[in-house]
Amino acid sequence: MDEEYDAIVLGTGLKECIISGMLSVSGKKVLHVDRNKYYGGESASICPLEELFSKFGAPAPDESYGRGRDWNVDLIPKFLMANGSLVKLLIHTGVTRYLEFKSVEGSYVYKGGKIAKVPVDQKEALASDLMGMFEKRRFRNFLIYVQDFQQEDPKTWKDFDPNTQNMTALYEKFGLDKNTQDFTGHALALYRDDDYLNRPALETINRIKLYSDSLAKYGKSPYLYPMYGLGELPQGFARLSAIYGGTYMLDKPIDEIVLGEGGKVVGVRSGNEIAKCKQVYCDPTYVPDRVRKKGKVVRCICLLDHPIPNTKDALSTQIIIPQKQVGRNSDIYVSLVSYTHQVAAKGWFIGMVSTTVETDNPENEIKPGLDLLGAIRQKFVSVSDYYEPTDDGLESQIFISQTYDATSHFESTCMDVLDIFKRGTGEAFDISKIKRDLEDEEQ
Amino acid sequence: MAMVLVPEQKVILCGEYGVGKSSIFRRFTNNTFVTATDRKSTLGLDNFDKIYRIGDKDIKLQLWDTGGMERVASITSSYYKFSEAAILVFSLDNPSSFHTLSQHLLDIVTYAETAKIFLCGNKTDLVTDPPQISDAEIESFCEQCQSLITNTYRISCRTNEGIEEMFTDIAYQLVNSNRARLELQSMEKHGFKITQSNEELTEEGCLC
Repeated sequence: MDEEYDAIVLGTGLKECIISGMLSVSGKKVLHVDRNKYYGGESASICPLEELFSKFGAPAPDESYGRGRDWNVDLIPKFLMANGSLVKLLIHTGVTRYLEFKSVEGSYVYKGGKIAKVPVDQKEALASDLMGMFEKRRFRNFLIYVQDFQQEDPKTWKDFDPNTQNMTALYEKFGLDKNTQDFTGHALALYRDDDYLNRPALETINRIKLYSDSLAKYGKSPYLYPMYGLGELPQGFARLSAIYGGTYMLDKPIDEIVLGEGGKVVGVRSGNEIAKCKQVYCDPTYVPDRVRKKGKVVRCICLLDHPIPNTKDALSTQIIIPQKQVGRNSDIYVSLVSYTHQVAAKGWFIGMVSTTVETDNPENEIKPGLDLLGAIRQKFVSVSDYYEPTDDGLESQIFISQTYDATSHFESTCMDVLDIFKRGTGEAFDISKIKRDLEDEEQ
Repeated sequence: MAMVLVPEQKVILCGEYGVGKSSIFRRFTNNTFVTATDRKSTLGLDNFDKIYRIGDKDIKLQLWDTGGMERVASITSSYYKFSEAAILVFSLDNPSSFHTLSQHLLDIVTYAETAKIFLCGNKTDLVTDPPQISDAEIESFCEQCQSLITNTYRISCRTNEGIEEMFTDIAYQLVNSNRARLELQSMEKHGFKITQSNEELTEEGCLC
């Protein structure tokens, strides 16, 4: 450990692993350390099942759960948008070759106590039971507008300025009612709350486009999920970092981040060893004095021996419960993966219900989600704080990621990573650079 | 469009740091050998494909190196996933690399249950008389592992002894054991790889 590095990365969660990979690829000498014995931190998938039960203090699972080793249970549920930033990063870094994916089968939205398929194209809009007949036509016109919309071509904006006019104005332009606005904003544009209504419409239009472009990629739904669970993602980026010369150390407690002149980081201490460095990249748990609590997320892992009712027996699903449907300020997300993804024993399903905490009874807040799942064999509830950095790192050269939020996909994760990379290196990540290297390799 | 798919078999290198895994990898990729530990020579190189012809069948061995992760940390479990074969390497001049094989073996059977395992003693050029690790010890290790080890090889990356023979035999063993399975391989049980779509590639092509 007693060496000098360009950067030391602390924690092997997904964000830190992506950063570590990007730094190594850019030619930096990287030391990547985790205090745990395993890769992934909070982004790990827990295996075997016995470990999950003991983590939550439950008695060991009985035989009906099959072989413990066949389970890989995520602690933070998320899906990848097929055309989203994480997929682009995976392709451009070549990490995609370590992974296999399956398309998530169904995407549903909750309305009036029932769930309905999220309509995304004109045909589905007209067939959807989410809207009345006249509303369907208005919604279809809205979808056509979004599909034809080109950011570079003002002609496609149709007398509407998406840069200055807000989303409410665009909804009004098409005469969409509150109910349609609700599932458009939350199940298509994937907003967690309603703040977007007052912001320029461009942002929302692009998010709906991301949803429909993602859907167009592999069919069924816009979401992808990796075989063996989300824990494969940080491991893939860790390998990328190692392949490009990054050094890995696990099970290494970090006792101090050593500061030099002007509060600038000069190294990291573990016991009597000090590794010198110019920069530190880490998750909030390594620097409790440089982060503030932003809120809480409640997540409930549910083990089921059946698919979610009313989803046509889908082996993977996402259901979004828009805030207003259940009188809340933030959405509730329900996700389901199963044995088909090698994350559960044959015949088993893992449901996950999560949301941003708003009351002092978080478990009660996710009840509408739990009620959709049918009989639950075992559930594990956790409430965790999420943090954001109070230090932008420009002076200290300590760059801190935000805790994983309640969103159902990785778009905010990637935005945080790219932002940290830019602050840390002073330049935007040049993805074309790696691509060239990969082509060289193939020759 | 009819296309004959050559089955691709992921083969991983396992074993202690310093037993010569990267040297085997380097011999496989470009048939070279360097004495000093020179990580730069494999920097950025992830895995490498080679096609072997066994009887009337082609098989593509895709060899993976650890990237040096085992130097201080452990290898990620995802390294083992989807592998069809594992080469368990030890150094014939280093008894401790032999005695820790069981730990690496355990990792392989845990994370790559269906992989065939091949035992490989490297550095035959450094074997003394009497040998640092006796044949009897190697045999008894294989017996203890019951039928887990498919075959054993002795090679030298320095002299290039036995390396091509080893890979040819591994290809042969995989073709034979997988014959039935390869033909039945369906997408159902597997996920898919995400790649840049053709459409995007053409778009980029137009820019040139």
